[in-house]
Amino acid sequence: MKTLRLAVLLTLAAATLLALRPGPAGAVPVFARKYGLNCTNCHSGFPRLNDWGQRFRANGYRLPDRENEEKTVLESPPPFALRTSHGYTHERFFRGAEGTNTSGFRVHSLDVLSAGVLAPHVGYLVVYPPQLADWRGVPGQEGTIEMASVVFSGLGSPWLNVRAGRFEPAYAAFSAKRHLTVTPYEIYDHAFPGGSPFSETQEGVEVTGSGSGFAYAAGVVNGSSTNRPDDGPSDAYARAAIVIGAGEGQTAGQRIGVTGYLGRARPLEGPDALQTFSRFGVDASLNLKQVNLAAQWLYGQDQKALWDPELADDVCWSGFFAELSWQPLVECVAFARYDQVNSPTGIEEQDVIRLTGGGRYYFADNLALHLEYSRRTLDTAASDDPTEDLATARLDFGF
Amino acid sequence: MKGRWAAPLLATVLVGLTVAWSTGALGQFLANGPLPPVPVPPDNPQTDAKVRLGAQLYFDTRLSADNTISCATCHDPKAAWANHNPTDTGIRGQVGGRNSGTILDAAYMRVQFWDGRAASLEEQALGPIHNPIEMGETLENVVRKLNAIPGYKTQFNTVFGTDVNTDGIARAIAAFERTVVSGLSPYDRWLAGEKTAMTSAAVRGLGLFNGKGHCSPCHSGPAFSDQGYHNIGVRMDQKNPDLGREAVTKDPRDHGRFKTPGLRNCALTGPYLHTGAEKTLADVIAYYDRGGIANQNLDPLMLPLRLTPREKTDLVAFLEALTGTQPNITPPALPEAGAAQEGGSR
Repeated sequence: MKTLRLAVLLTLAAATLLALRPGPAGAVPVFARKYGLNCTNCHSGFPRLNDWGQRFRANGYRLPDRENEEKTVLESPPPFALRTSHGYTHERFFRGAEGTNTSGFRVHSLDVLSAGVLAPHVGYLVVYPPQLADWRGVPGQEGTIEMASVVFSGLGSPWLNVRAGRFEPAYAAFSAKRHLTVTPYEIYDHAFPGGSPFSETQEGVEVTGSGSGFAYAAGVVNGSSTNRPDDGPSDAYARAAIVIGAGEGQTAGQRIGVTGYLGRARPLEGPDALQTFSRFGVDASLNLKQVNLAAQWLYGQDQKALWDPELADDVCWSGFFAELSWQPLVECVAFARYDQVNSPTGIEEQDVIRLTGGGRYYFADNLALHLEYSRRTLDTAASDDPTEDLATARLDFGF
Repeated sequence: MKGRWAAPLLATVLVGLTVAWSTGALGQFLANGPLPPVPVPPDNPQTDAKVRLGAQLYFDTRLSADNTISCATCHDPKAAWANHNPTDTGIRGQVGGRNSGTILDAAYMRVQFWDGRAASLEEQALGPIHNPIEMGETLENVVRKLNAIPGYKTQFNTVFGTDVNTDGIARAIAAFERTVVSGLSPYDRWLAGEKTAMTSAAVRGLGLFNGKGHCSPCHSGPAFSDQGYHNIGVRMDQKNPDLGREAVTKDPRDHGRFKTPGLRNCALTGPYLHTGAEKTLADVIAYYDRGGIANQNLDPLMLPLRLTPREKTDLVAFLEALTGTQPNITPPALPEAGAAQEGGSR
């Protein structure tokens, strides 16, 4: 509770500073402050990265082709930023006539970020969401390091960049940390009991490279948190994508990618031995003027013990999402998404359908009003499918 | 336990930012501030006499082989010290390969010419004189011709203590060009706090300039140029395109790269780009909106912008707000030829 009060006070202080801040620049997050740029330079609908931002990230948080002019973190403005989201949320969980409603104002998130260039070919990013207490039964933030990675970039060519630490792996084609909606991509969140969501940050090492419309990534990560300390890194992955047309397929260019992931995890219950699981995905990001269609299909196959040792066969599942966004002006973006997860074989009541719609309006490019409605349904054979509704109006800002 | 770190960490961040703010450090985050005083090299200090001499040389067609072309022919004060032709015509009707950029605020550029082949205004000043397409004269002949003009000979002796020589010609023209700087623009006045100085469209355009338009990473600094070289793809789809900076450095990485031009007064200096192929600012923005022309050396930050029609209009409005006052310089009276002065040379 004390931490929550602190967060609110800091948020108000930040808002005051934001309101009083002189000068024409609309935003001053870490990188924007360093380069004198607005958020929209790297984001098309903050926090979603645009193609420019994608190249900047891939290049180790350095402006491509301008590496010789980069200032290190010691030569730059204070490399810290705050990002927060708070507002009014109504959540409704019902099955038939029974359920709960939760409504009220809430600090949804608070992130402390630090980023910059450590040395000519080395950049870093740290994201720390401090602990936020539970709110009326809704879980708060844990207060753990979400990301802390170092990027060795441009090691001889754009074809070799190395990212190490805790980072958002490239196998998730669409960032779950920088997407337009507050509701998650269902297929990325789908996992066996105790398994990490596909979109979760990972600890490990990743190599990436790109050029001539082709990009690749491969990495080794620790994997499931259910593993024992002596298990060592257990998961490996690879991804390849092609982009047709100029851009990175974020909001320009047409991108198609494939992803493969192979991991091992220990079941929460049952046999103690490591069990294998795999993922295979196909994704596309198609752009036409101000419209983007992002789609991901993902197939998973898990050894049965990860779900239930009593099952007859291994568990296979699949699902997809398709998200349409339209940004008619730099100040606003509208989005709609359909998520579907097909029930794993042998597992009942796991079909998930989610419909989401909403928009963001940017009063300044670092201050957004976020409106979103989402309905999640567990599609079962029964007539009273459990439903979860979320309606939220939030202010997101960072500085 | 974890939460114990939150308060001190957040407090540290907030205090750090507040300190940075209060000391004015955040002011430096603006990519484009007002123009500072003109930098003057220690070995060529400004004097009134030198500037007057430089002005005469700048407007004097006798520096060209056939006495038809002066610096002002292509960098005309009536055309914002530029020229409205895509590329200009030199002696004997020869057409140049690149657009004549304005010399307005050239004093703020560390290097000169589209390919940066001149390291200073002094070095630049002599370039067009002996360029066979532009003024087509030899430096030796220019020195000989000017020494035959008593008015020049006297002034050179007064200013430099010598007869006319190439070094003096370069210094005098450079000194004059350092007076050709723009004054306050609506943007400068807006920066200074006059919030009505720019239209709302221009203010929106500023946001786009520093954001979605991806302009300021290259057009940064008081003169709106990073003084760097970039390949933005202009005419790179044609056979034997202009090599740009590569012709100077012989480095393939410089293939098709050209110096970032400043943007102050750009609304007056069209046509644009090193080819002069884009007639209006709207055309230039449309070119960037398409992401340039793909080639092996295209700047990685050249990407389609997806600008809406209103955003394009806003960007133009902002660029127009960079139009400042210009020095009111009229062509000076030129020294008359002496008895020994010949007509054209060669």
